[in-house]
Amino acid sequence: MRRINTRILVAFVLLVSLAGLLSYLTIFSGTVGLSWSDLSFRSLPYASVQSQILWEIRIPRLVAAVLSGLSLAVAGLSLQTLFRNPLAGPFVLGISSGASFGVALSLLLGFSFGHFGVLSAAAVGAMAVTALVMLVAARFENSTVLLIVGLLVGYFIDALISLMIVGSDAESLRVYVSWGMGSFGRLTLDSVWVFALAVLVGLSLVLLSIRYLNAARLGDDFAKGLGVNVRRGRMMVLLGASLLAASSTAFCGPVAFVGIAVPHLAFMLFKTSNHRVLLPASALCGIVLCLASCQFSTVPLNAVLSLVGVPVVLWVIVRGGGVRR
Amino acid sequence: MNQSVLLKCEDLVFGYGSSEKKATGLAAPFNFELSAGEVVALLGENGCGKSTFLKTACGLVSAVSGRVILEGHAMDEIPVRDRAKLVSLTRMGGVACDRMTVRDYVSLGRMPYAGLFDGRSAEDEQIVDESIRLLELEKFADRWVSELSDGERSRVYLAEAIAQQVKVLLLDEPNAFLDIPRSRKLFEMLRMLAKERRMGVIVSTHSVEYAEKYSDRIMVIENGVVCCAAAGDARAEGLLDWTKP
Repeated sequence: MRRINTRILVAFVLLVSLAGLLSYLTIFSGTVGLSWSDLSFRSLPYASVQSQILWEIRIPRLVAAVLSGLSLAVAGLSLQTLFRNPLAGPFVLGISSGASFGVALSLLLGFSFGHFGVLSAAAVGAMAVTALVMLVAARFENSTVLLIVGLLVGYFIDALISLMIVGSDAESLRVYVSWGMGSFGRLTLDSVWVFALAVLVGLSLVLLSIRYLNAARLGDDFAKGLGVNVRRGRMMVLLGASLLAASSTAFCGPVAFVGIAVPHLAFMLFKTSNHRVLLPASALCGIVLCLASCQFSTVPLNAVLSLVGVPVVLWVIVRGGGVRR
Repeated sequence: MNQSVLLKCEDLVFGYGSSEKKATGLAAPFNFELSAGEVVALLGENGCGKSTFLKTACGLVSAVSGRVILEGHAMDEIPVRDRAKLVSLTRMGGVACDRMTVRDYVSLGRMPYAGLFDGRSAEDEQIVDESIRLLELEKFADRWVSELSDGERSRVYLAEAIAQQVKVLLLDEPNAFLDIPRSRKLFEMLRMLAKERRMGVIVSTHSVEYAEKYSDRIMVIENGVVCCAAAGDARAEGLLDWTKP
């Protein structure tokens, strides 16, 4: 008989219930009250304003929060494991900076990035940095080198953005700053499938590397000794995590703290570092956190998340739980 | 080839580097065979190349020249996962195992047998339990590895290697942090594992006394030269002269 850990079971049930409740609130509560009858099959033209609000605003926001929370949490956890650094996150590889650079090119310098505009700009920027990271990863075995390169690329790009900001007009700057605050309200129903597909591919790459993630916690030599193809595992995790972080940044802007804080939160709840449990646990925690932040739609998203994220990370550091254990 | 030979080194030169000229920590070419049921103690001064040899013997470091043959197959030709079912290297001072319980850690030994998503079967759980029992870890099976003493942690590392159910067990200074009774027990257990499970064991150590008492052969690396003799003859043949004051 295999052991079933009660703590894990209870935590999963609680999180799923919480996610369900918050999803309900995200859809049905707000300045305009909605009911189940508005949730009829989408048909154009909309039967009522309520129906339009539901399909054009509430459901895309729900999907954005769920996909973004899931992708950032999974990316954060897998990168913390890969770098064996409890304070690593999806943005240590410069992906967020890459996305910001694309958006800055679009909004501040007026470059056109096709049909999806700012979304495409962020995706192109994030993907360009991802390609650079993969190039470095293929060349150097040492994960620390990769971490340093990612941080340096981030600083370099931030400097370039600063130069662009200097020469830009007030309106462009306002739009750019607003993008930088992050929001789940930018996703449109037409582009949901693009976001979902990118998350699905990224998530699959990470899930297929569970053996690597479980072994890599103890170093590359240890993982090799357990029969893990370390090079392939590392590339898959990097590509998957980059894709997850890049797609979230492209659709919701640079969302702060989910990637860093949520894996610690998941560990505190589930008390295991087995990625078979911790990956879905982190994904659920990320979803719950992002759905919770949807309830404060008048406050900038990053402000809400940072207000929650900073105390969590501080708690981890002060308590030593994230570093010592 | 003799069926009971598990590990064979043919004109092996080991060290770090791609060629004999560039390699550091180089030893002269040597031949060596490890048979099933045999315990070989690996001795030598700090920095003589014991760990490098063990890493070469399990495929973590490529041979500078010559070959390592594992169960009749050249090391380079064995897929990494199959290799992990044949040979395991246990080191005592590795990366800190943060956020992991003793049971989680020992369970890692079953990874070479796990599927794509790293699940564990009931049989795997049973083997993990047996390994925990063998190393007397039941009392702290659910404690964090990071909270254990160095000696207790050594036993956890060893239990993980035993759960891996390999044919060739390589241990790098396993008794470095163990007290005298536990050191003795460890060597007795290695001998028992070798005889009962028909495993081949190479154990690097600085405990000359245990090496002479519990191993079948003693292997010494001195000044880049590898020598090997039956444990009872090693002293008479001068293999242990370097230990004298």
